Amino acid sequence: MVIRIAAVGDVHLDEDVLGRFRPALEELPGSVDALLLAGDLTRHGTEAEARCVAREFGGLGVPVIAVLGNHDHHCDQVPQVIGTLEEAGITVLEGAGVVLDCPGGRLGVAGVKGFGGGFAGRSASDFGEPEMKAFVRTTTESADRLGEALRSLDCDVLVALTHYSPVPDTLAGEPLEIYPFLGCYQLGQAVDSAPTALALHGHAHHGSERGTTPGGVRVRNVAHPVIKQAYSVFHLGDHLDQGEVSEVTAGGIQQPWS
Amino acid sequence: MHRDSGAGPPDEYLEAEIHRLLTEDPAVAEQGISVTRTERALVLHGEVESAHRREEILRRVAERFPDVPVTSDIGVIRTQAPTEIEQLP
Repeated sequence: MVIRIAAVGDVHLDEDVLGRFRPALEELPGSVDALLLAGDLTRHGTEAEARCVAREFGGLGVPVIAVLGNHDHHCDQVPQVIGTLEEAGITVLEGAGVVLDCPGGRLGVAGVKGFGGGFAGRSASDFGEPEMKAFVRTTTESADRLGEALRSLDCDVLVALTHYSPVPDTLAGEPLEIYPFLGCYQLGQAVDSAPTALALHGHAHHGSERGTTPGGVRVRNVAHPVIKQAYSVFHLGDHLDQGEVSEVTAGGIQQPWS
Repeated sequence: MHRDSGAGPPDEYLEAEIHRLLTEDPAVAEQGISVTRTERALVLHGEVESAHRREEILRRVAERFPDVPVTSDIGVIRTQAPTEIEQLP
């Protein structure tokens, strides 16, 4: 049983980027079961930019599941952005989940944008000024929604999708001082509250690819500037052949068992 | 791009102002560009999604801070399909 996932975040689409991802995206049908987008799909969160995302990532022939990022909130047009993406067949998750029937089993994806707050022992507290309390409550409410969505899904392979990071590991490369703006430990706690197989996030452009939650769940930062390719592909399952290595072909990815 | 203005080393407030400009200027809106101070200039580095955005960053910074020597090392992120798959048993 193998579930095949492609993922990328922080593509920041606008007209100047249209078409850049498409050749690689057209290789996805037959190669993966779903494409996950880890937020910051647009530059400023306008409806016009969302139409660019819809053109680039819509009609691919594989299910596309997304969360929004902080950039997608900038112009206060979130309902229009979501509407435009959903018209193009892109599922947008915010405190919700979806289960896909794939040849290798049922893939469950729960998603939330998430928020900053910092990591264990160095995090913001729900204390003091109203602004500070509002900040931390945004963090905890977002993480609670992710935990509930993850625990509600009945599936074979469970994936958590966020924009902000659930662990500090995948922020390595970013200045320590800005970690509290890049993620929070509460998201990690939510990931660990369910039998999650993989947590995907973006947001940290100078971060690194791999990490693990305190509960042992693998975390991958798929921000485009980190992975430096159109998307990363992950095969999840308990019948993977460890001896097989994916092949490099002129056409791009090839199924490792083909 | 390098601008030699003969001005002294750029100060920390300027560095902060440029860093904020890169995010808050709607023509730029980049959070992933670092501003580093060296003896001779401010160095901008990071990666963006198009050559047009890189040019826009340099244009906006030069427009707002014409006397500041700026060196750029900004790349355009590749968008090829991956050549390897990560297996997660």
